[in-house]
Amino acid sequence: MGKHTEQREQKAEATTFMATNGRRQVEKDDDDFVDVDDSSLQTNQANYAWEEEYKRSWDVLQEDEHGSLAGVVNSLQKAAKRKRQLRDTDPIQRGIIRHLFILIDLSNAMQEKDLRPSRLSLTFTYLEAFIAEYFDQNPISQIGLIGTKDGLAEKLTELSGNPTDHIKALKMKKFMETGGEPSLQNALELARNSLIHVPAHGSREILVIMGSLTTTDPGNIHDTIARLMQDNIRASVIALAAEVQVLKFLSTQTKGTFGVAMNEGHYRDLLFEVIPPTAITTTKASANLVQMGFPARCNDSAATLCACHGKLTLGGYKCPQCGSKLCDIPTECDICNLTLVSSPLLARSYHHLFPVENFVEVPWKDAAMTTACFSCQKTFLSPHKVSVQLQSTTDAGRYQCKLCEKTFCTDCDVFIHDVLHNCPGCLSQPRRRAGGVIA
Amino acid sequence: MTSVITSVCLLNYKDDSNLLVIVIDTNPFEWEHPSAPLKLNLALKHILAFMNAHLAGRHDNRLAVIASHVGASKFLYPTLNEPTPGSKVQTKKDANVYQVFKVVNDAVLTGIAKLLQDPRPTLEEKDLGSSKIAASLSLGLCYINQALKSDGMGHVKPRILVLTVSPDSSSDYIPIMNCIFSAQKANIPIDVCKIWGEDAVFLQQAAHITEGIYMRPDDPRGLLQTLMFSFLPDMFSRSYLHLPGQDEVDFRAACFCHKRIVDIGFVCSVCLSIFCSFSPVCSTCRTKFAFQPLLPSARRLGAKAGASNPGSPRPSSSSTPSAS
Repeated sequence: MGKHTEQREQKAEATTFMATNGRRQVEKDDDDFVDVDDSSLQTNQANYAWEEEYKRSWDVLQEDEHGSLAGVVNSLQKAAKRKRQLRDTDPIQRGIIRHLFILIDLSNAMQEKDLRPSRLSLTFTYLEAFIAEYFDQNPISQIGLIGTKDGLAEKLTELSGNPTDHIKALKMKKFMETGGEPSLQNALELARNSLIHVPAHGSREILVIMGSLTTTDPGNIHDTIARLMQDNIRASVIALAAEVQVLKFLSTQTKGTFGVAMNEGHYRDLLFEVIPPTAITTTKASANLVQMGFPARCNDSAATLCACHGKLTLGGYKCPQCGSKLCDIPTECDICNLTLVSSPLLARSYHHLFPVENFVEVPWKDAAMTTACFSCQKTFLSPHKVSVQLQSTTDAGRYQCKLCEKTFCTDCDVFIHDVLHNCPGCLSQPRRRAGGVIA
Repeated sequence: MTSVITSVCLLNYKDDSNLLVIVIDTNPFEWEHPSAPLKLNLALKHILAFMNAHLAGRHDNRLAVIASHVGASKFLYPTLNEPTPGSKVQTKKDANVYQVFKVVNDAVLTGIAKLLQDPRPTLEEKDLGSSKIAASLSLGLCYINQALKSDGMGHVKPRILVLTVSPDSSSDYIPIMNCIFSAQKANIPIDVCKIWGEDAVFLQQAAHITEGIYMRPDDPRGLLQTLMFSFLPDMFSRSYLHLPGQDEVDFRAACFCHKRIVDIGFVCSVCLSIFCSFSPVCSTCRTKFAFQPLLPSARRLGAKAGASNPGSPRPSSSSTPSAS
């Protein structure tokens, strides 16, 4: 890919930002030279994927006093299931109409194999799942993809609300090619130029996925960061290699999040943390009434051209403002730029506004009060059958809703908070306000 | 010959055991209404026959029954929750009845009898008219989630059937929508049989979004016939049948302020409430809006609507915020 040589003159001498400290969460001043304290490393449980020792999965298992593995295996499984962060359930304003640019590092550093199969292919696999989930949770939001390599930034897809476009782009071979150094500044400026045209009521966000420890920039990156702050753009960063000072600075200045992926699972967690809409932090009056169209589905007897693809189709949605036919909603009318949605799509976002309260864990001493999960009828392990020693290391596997005082099993707890967003116990009660809705 | 056998095997492979979750609306105010064409005890006979038919269809078909009562929602079968000493005595063997049927029938009948005999809990006015469909759907989805988890092979094909007589309860809009989207995500069809009364709009959307069947029997007294012919076939058989579909579901939105159906509406960017005209403050979330868009039609409407906007309906408490 040596075709961009003539464009390279636009970047001045490469300003290179080196990775500073190799350890996440090490808080140091900007100018300090940070030496990584090796003794603290060993106490730290979660190591980076590349410094992991040879794993013997059987070492984790230890027999209990009866020589049985079942209890240990059970508690391990439960811990894995329960692995979810307790959500913030305060009713706060959330930016539901989001505009997100994902900056993907396509430099040579992405070919590293510390995340298997490689940083790049894992990123693309996760991004496909991410995009599907993002649009599921944020149906009236938009995404754009930007790749950066050879010191340049290139838009892979424009901002759009159609998940299939992005997933198709991610599957294209030509975007999988890597080369040279990434350019953080070029990519950020490209994203910023597209985001400043977004109406003020929508949130403007950038997610940077960076595998490289260096960046080749044409100018001063701090100017770009200042401009991002000025335009109210939030930039979050996931670094795949190590903590890079400039990336961390970027995310803290723009009120984004910063994380270093330690292994494949952690990378996925970091990525998927971006999906729920973030709380609105700015006090600026950015809320507005947005004009939207609710098109009716039409079925013509003869095929007509659609406005979006120019293809002959039978069914479609008719824009109520200009009357042109579009294949699918949600979208923006190509003719008159009206946002077209349907009411169920709006309803899909309501659960962000009325989240389910977190359930509290029931300790073993109170566990005898309930015998079965309220929602799935699964019987709980009776505390009398579990030895005291095992009780001290495991949890009772039952979780209680503070509002309705019904008890749920681990599976249901996860399902209720991650998928369903209704508390069956609260809904089953006569007068209690359902699912956090304050009538 | 072998090709025929393998193709049959392949078909059989798809024809898996079915988990049917039946939600029975037991709202006594509707069933015992003088104008009700079918009383609950008679309807239960039909429903029990249908349940038995489902269990008889395959040896490993599974069933769960949930009652959606006024102000409560409960599992009727299986009930591990409260093993009462009395029920054990009743399920002793009867030489003339297939034991599986008997267990189910007894559990459902005693469960409903207990619900109806319960001293009525203190209810609010708005609870009276409708049953807890959203709660029952949530329970059903949790049950299915657990069943799918414990079934390692992934062969169980779940579906939900809602038998309802009550009208929609507007406060249930968001919970029902949440249920619909989780069902859609997990590929669980929600079939709806509205035994009588006017169309249940929320459940109509549920059936449409999850690709289930929505039906109102022509004559409620022939409930069993409708159940047997339209709702008994599992998803595998349905691909060979031409079942009654529903007409186009209207997904147009109604504004929160006047309940008017709108083509082009204004949506609050914070809480997504729909309004038919511009107002400076969102009546749902009290957000003040930045500026008024320069639209002549909006201005004209805004002037009119400003006076006639006394209430502040929230998406939860307003009746049918979405389609009509």
